[in-house]
Amino acid sequence: MFAPSPWQLNSYVEAIVIYRDGSRKPWSFPRVEQLSLIERIPKERYRKFTEALQRDENDVLWTDVARRIARLNTTPSNPVKTVILVQKWSRIVPSADGSYEPQPWDQHVLYGYGVKPEDLR
Amino acid sequence: MSLSWLRREWNSFFFGEISPTPIALFRIFYGLLVIATLLLLHSDWLAWYGPHAWISLATMQSVEPGIRLNLFAILPPSDAWVWAFFWIFLSSAALLTAGLLTRVNSVVVFLCLTSMQQRNLFILHGGDTFLRLAGFFLIFAPAGAALSVDRLIRMWRGVEGRIVQPVSPWAQRMIQIQLVLLYLSSFWWKLKGAGWVNGTALFYVYHLDALRRFPLPPWFFRPMVLKLASWSALAIELSLGTLIWIKDIRYIVLAFGVALHLWLDYSLNIPLFQWDVLSAYILFVDPTDLARAWNWAKGRAQVRG
Repeated sequence: MFAPSPWQLNSYVEAIVIYRDGSRKPWSFPRVEQLSLIERIPKERYRKFTEALQRDENDVLWTDVARRIARLNTTPSNPVKTVILVQKWSRIVPSADGSYEPQPWDQHVLYGYGVKPEDLR
Repeated sequence: MSLSWLRREWNSFFFGEISPTPIALFRIFYGLLVIATLLLLHSDWLAWYGPHAWISLATMQSVEPGIRLNLFAILPPSDAWVWAFFWIFLSSAALLTAGLLTRVNSVVVFLCLTSMQQRNLFILHGGDTFLRLAGFFLIFAPAGAALSVDRLIRMWRGVEGRIVQPVSPWAQRMIQIQLVLLYLSSFWWKLKGAGWVNGTALFYVYHLDALRRFPLPPWFFRPMVLKLASWSALAIELSLGTLIWIKDIRYIVLAFGVALHLWLDYSLNIPLFQWDVLSAYILFVDPTDLARAWNWAKGRAQVRG
């Protein structure tokens, strides 16, 4: 567990869902830290999964994830056209005296996917 | 130390007959943990394993090419079949826990668990992997020789007497070795990370918002305390990978392991991981001590009754 080095970022993955009419909607995986003590137990797998998603070596997963987000958010009258996966992070940095001050959040586009009609079936 | 001594010790360790009570207790804990794992996955079952899951079967097969033990690859791709898989798996785990058709159900549980893990490798923790590996050896273990419905049926048919017969422990030994390898590999991998060596690793772990569970006292976050905790974790893992074989100090080592895992379970939200690992500790408890503990508990219950 946590070997060889623990993850040194507080981070999560969000998606920007863009519809055919040009409107946009943010969508996020369940964020365990925002859930109650009970809710976070079954949802912990999402923490693990989104941690894997943020690693470049797992880029093979991004298309599948974007497709599923498109399916979850589409409507027959206004289908999803594009899904953009965004990593948001804040570094965990020990200060000189060893205490912790939360760092500002930053973001980085992981992947953009143009949704095809067959993705929405 | 001679070759004949080595052979004798080897045979005694792997094949010298012992009570099946520890492996039977492990079977029960194991079955309960598999059931708990499934119940926790229930609400997102199709999201992880369905035909339109987060990761498609084709992508998973490209990540892990070649022949794999994965029943999902041969199931018809429909929600109904994926749910049928869930219920068959859950039922089999319940029967394994009860010890009914133990051998058959240990095979079914292993096949389902391996398939589930192969279907999505990206949501697994070390405890899941340990369950899978232990499940393989459980197939070959006399896990239904005690504390099982199978045994009750055999007694009822007159095939077995009231006294539990000793069994060959080689499969139990393999699970014990698996646990030891888990600790040693964890220790080895941690040594490769600078944070564990310089003692800052737990600073990062305990500032990961998504991992937090119950509140911790402020003194725990002092740099020196976190350093000592990081190094203690290393020392305990190394002890559990080595000193656990020394009978005279085994229970002390196990006690440190229990304390470590309970602390981690209290402080970090990694459901079931600690219990997956702790379940195998029972295999290191001497059967005579188990019997003594059972008699003591029975005596206490009678006094209260």
